[in-house]
Amino acid sequence: MGQLQLAGVTKSFGKAEVIQPTDLEITEGEFVVFVGPSGCGKSTLLRMIAGLEELTSGDIVIDGRVVNDVAPVERGVAMVFQTYALYPHMSVFENIAFPLRVAKLPRKEIESRVRRAAAILKLENRLDHKPAELSGGQRQRVAIGRAIVREPQVFLFDEPLSNLDAALRTEMRVELSRLHNSLGNTMIYVTHDQVEAMTMATKIVVLRDGHIEQVGTPLELFHRPVNRFVAGFIGNPTMNFLKASCLGETGDGVQLRLETGSVVTMPVEGAARQGDDLTLGIRPDDLVIAEGAARFEMIPEVVERLGNQSVIHGADMAGEPICAVVGGAEPITQGQKFELGFHPDKAHLFRPDGTAFARRNTALA
Amino acid sequence: MASTSSTTAVKALSFRIVMWLFALMTIIPFGLLLLTSVKSKQDLFRGAFALPDYPHFENYVSAWVDGHFGIYFWNSIIVVVPVVAISIVLGLLTGFAFAFLSFPGKKLIFVLLTIGMMVPTEAFIIPLYYEMRYLGLINSYAAMILPQIAMSVPFATLFMASAMQQLPKDILEAAMLDGAPRGMILRKVIVPLMKPSISSLGLFLFIWTWNEFLIPLILVNDDVYRTMPLGMLFFQGRYTVNTPVLTAGAVLVIAPIIIVYLIFQRKFIEGLTAGASK
Repeated sequence: MGQLQLAGVTKSFGKAEVIQPTDLEITEGEFVVFVGPSGCGKSTLLRMIAGLEELTSGDIVIDGRVVNDVAPVERGVAMVFQTYALYPHMSVFENIAFPLRVAKLPRKEIESRVRRAAAILKLENRLDHKPAELSGGQRQRVAIGRAIVREPQVFLFDEPLSNLDAALRTEMRVELSRLHNSLGNTMIYVTHDQVEAMTMATKIVVLRDGHIEQVGTPLELFHRPVNRFVAGFIGNPTMNFLKASCLGETGDGVQLRLETGSVVTMPVEGAARQGDDLTLGIRPDDLVIAEGAARFEMIPEVVERLGNQSVIHGADMAGEPICAVVGGAEPITQGQKFELGFHPDKAHLFRPDGTAFARRNTALA
Repeated sequence: MASTSSTTAVKALSFRIVMWLFALMTIIPFGLLLLTSVKSKQDLFRGAFALPDYPHFENYVSAWVDGHFGIYFWNSIIVVVPVVAISIVLGLLTGFAFAFLSFPGKKLIFVLLTIGMMVPTEAFIIPLYYEMRYLGLINSYAAMILPQIAMSVPFATLFMASAMQQLPKDILEAAMLDGAPRGMILRKVIVPLMKPSISSLGLFLFIWTWNEFLIPLILVNDDVYRTMPLGMLFFQGRYTVNTPVLTAGAVLVIAPIIIVYLIFQRKFIEGLTAGASK
């Protein structure tokens, strides 16, 4: 129970097609995160699964049943909203009990289910309070409690942590992962925060302009992005992109020259012609000081010291923006040029249309 | 720098003076009415602003008893309460329909409601009279209650629909996902959230219905059915010379409105400003 399938699903508002034909399989017990920039259609897709938006075409199948025309309550899904969507005039108990009262469950059953959910979410002492008397994190837990008591096949979360401060967001992130481990239900989670996606998901769906760019585990997306968009979206700080010119293919891969003049041979599969304008992608934490087969110089503009590491923002000698993550003890100072390098097997190579060359190193670590 | 702050201060002062003038223009006539209502006839000749030796509350007793305001007051209550209550209930139902449902002719009905609000009572009072006579309702409470419900429903519908559209959409969708049917969403979720708007609407309808003059004047001619404003007209005819008793009668007519406003004041202001900010 808790399997979900999207088959050729589309959604248009007037002439604007906000969800392009989409196919997706979600198996039981997965924690799937829809991630993408604002306006990519991730919330619309979630609302279509919930039954709050009608489909323009295609089918949504939950546990083998097409639910296109099934009322939200009968789909076996429960949703947690970004704004909590609590009933402000009801106590925490009544908020959590509301769907059970609607379902006309016996009083004792309601009482026991609410108490159980409250215990899971550490809300036992708050049951008599009104939502206005709770903190943001507690309100979000009440909203989750309201979803839990319905015992749904699929939980839907629409950016549930966006309204919380950074510390609370981290705490709730862990709590949600813990909840997923203990309940084992299928969960679909929408966020624009790639850190949430990476830390919580068993499967990430990256969306852009109503189209799925890539589906995979967090490490697959991190190490084998299919295109430049996914590579830039996943990972923090963002991947560096350096312009490069193809010098031709060798037995070891594709040889290219960076704007700084360095020549690198990238261990990738796929054809490239001499003179092609390619893009080399290298994550900030894969750049090392004065090490690696490919070297270039960087002029730091801003040095963010985080203690255990420092994040350096600046540019290479060709003026391309560079971000590097180095050890916290490194004596890097603003304006003082230093040499950086990387190992080609850590880097990514993208074609002019943005698609990635397959890397020969297939390990996900 | 100094000249900027002095200009700002002058602007603020001018604004305050204008506001005070408006406030005084509103308060002074009302204060004079209250003052005159507790004066004797002799006190009156000493000037409009002269204070009486002691308050003559007997003017109120005289107005209440001789002016039959006791009967008029209860008649007004009998008319106002069902008009306000039924209009609010109907307004909630129709407002819900216009705010959230799709049905054929929605736009046309909406336009008709708006046009209906623009027609003055004077334009339909004669046909209304014949209609009421045909139904045998002339000289009855129903003659005052039914047309006023009909007149209130369009405004109540527009007011409620617009207030409901400002409710957080997520809460209504959460209720839908929780499986609540429409009636339950309205009763258990929307109505409790709409209390300020309902108070505001109730207050508007109370004032308009309490002050309604033409409908009772034309459709009711028996003294036992007359309402407060109509009673004031006939009282004025009988007591033109006794100004303090007349003003006491006027205070009796407007007092319920003021009392109701004071009770609902906070909710009323919340209702007027609902949705203005998050």
